[in-house]
Amino acid sequence: MFSNLIVGAPAYLGDSLFVLVVFIILVALVGKFAFGPVSKMMQNRSDKITNDLDNAAQSREDAAQLAAQRATELKSSKSEAVEIVNTAKQNGEKQREGMVTLAQEEVQTLKQNAKKDIEQSRVDALNSARDDVAQLSIEIASKLIKKELSVTDQKSLINSYIEGLDKQNEIR
Amino acid sequence: MDDKYPIISILGIRFNLANCLSVLLCAAIVFAIVLFLSRKIALKPTKRQNVLEWAIDFTNGIVKSAIPGKEGQQFYLFAFVMFFFVLISNMFGLIFQLKIDGFTWLKSPTTDPIVTMSLAMIVLVIAHYFSVERLGFGNYLKSYIKPVSFFLPINIIEQFTNFLTLSLRLYGNIFAGEVLLNLLVKMAFSNGFGTMIVTAPIQMVWQGFSVFIGSIQAFVFVTLSMVYISEKIEIED
Repeated sequence: MFSNLIVGAPAYLGDSLFVLVVFIILVALVGKFAFGPVSKMMQNRSDKITNDLDNAAQSREDAAQLAAQRATELKSSKSEAVEIVNTAKQNGEKQREGMVTLAQEEVQTLKQNAKKDIEQSRVDALNSARDDVAQLSIEIASKLIKKELSVTDQKSLINSYIEGLDKQNEIR
Repeated sequence: MDDKYPIISILGIRFNLANCLSVLLCAAIVFAIVLFLSRKIALKPTKRQNVLEWAIDFTNGIVKSAIPGKEGQQFYLFAFVMFFFVLISNMFGLIFQLKIDGFTWLKSPTTDPIVTMSLAMIVLVIAHYFSVERLGFGNYLKSYIKPVSFFLPINIIEQFTNFLTLSLRLYGNIFAGEVLLNLLVKMAFSNGFGTMIVTAPIQMVWQGFSVFIGSIQAFVFVTLSMVYISEKIEIED
């Protein structure tokens, strides 16, 4: 085989060229149709994985931050709620007190009014009773006088009256 | 061996058709397999794509072990194609051995030293080309007198020994394997049905071993190619 190779070297030059050409074509074809796209895809994948890892770290950080923010917000909202409830309670208390005092005042005035009315009506009643009594006593008196006044009495009465007139005249 | 080959001559250059046909078929098989595996490429790989990506990672690993870093990336495709071409060439003869009228038409291409030498020559040309490209022509010439000037003959001889060891190791392994396969076939047909039955398991064992040898040799061939290339493109201070 080796003697053949060395002596008949020109006989194999064609083979060598053929191998070279076939190999170059094979490299070109495999590179174009399989190796290139697959390598590119592998590169893309590794890039994507790296990116995803970075993004995941970033989003985890964001999430932690957001959670902390939420927690503080929740805390503040709790205190806010307590405050709101407290003010509401205070307002309610105030309102209640106001209403109670108002009612008391009203009751007081009503009572006073009622008292006044009662007093008034008592006074009125007394007055009217007094008037009536005076009227009645006058009537009774006149009736008694008409009946039982004797002549002497009438005379003395007339005299006293005249005396009164005289005194009046003297003063004039 | 006393094989006869169909030889034609075009423009004074003579072609051994057995080699040409086998090389062409091996290249076609490699391309067909790779094309079959690379259909429907997606970011989320399918089964076929996984196989291809595993293969690419494997050959990329060979390159990376010899040429780490970015310089190695330009050899990924070359290593991939070389590995699978040599692998399929080594396996080819285990399946197809075609002889018509005493002429061999199909065999493993790597059982012929001229084919392995052609492949080794491709490696050598690439190594020297990238050496000149990377170091500049002056530094490329200077690399022959390193570490000291009297290493010049040794360095020059080294190029030839690299070439010869690369090609003849592959040739020797595969050729020996196929010689034994042919001998076993001859033995099987030597004495009728009885010898066939006796030979069949031996043939099977030897074919399995040849698959192993062929894979190892393809791996070794590409690994050493990358080592030679890395030696040539290495920048020495």
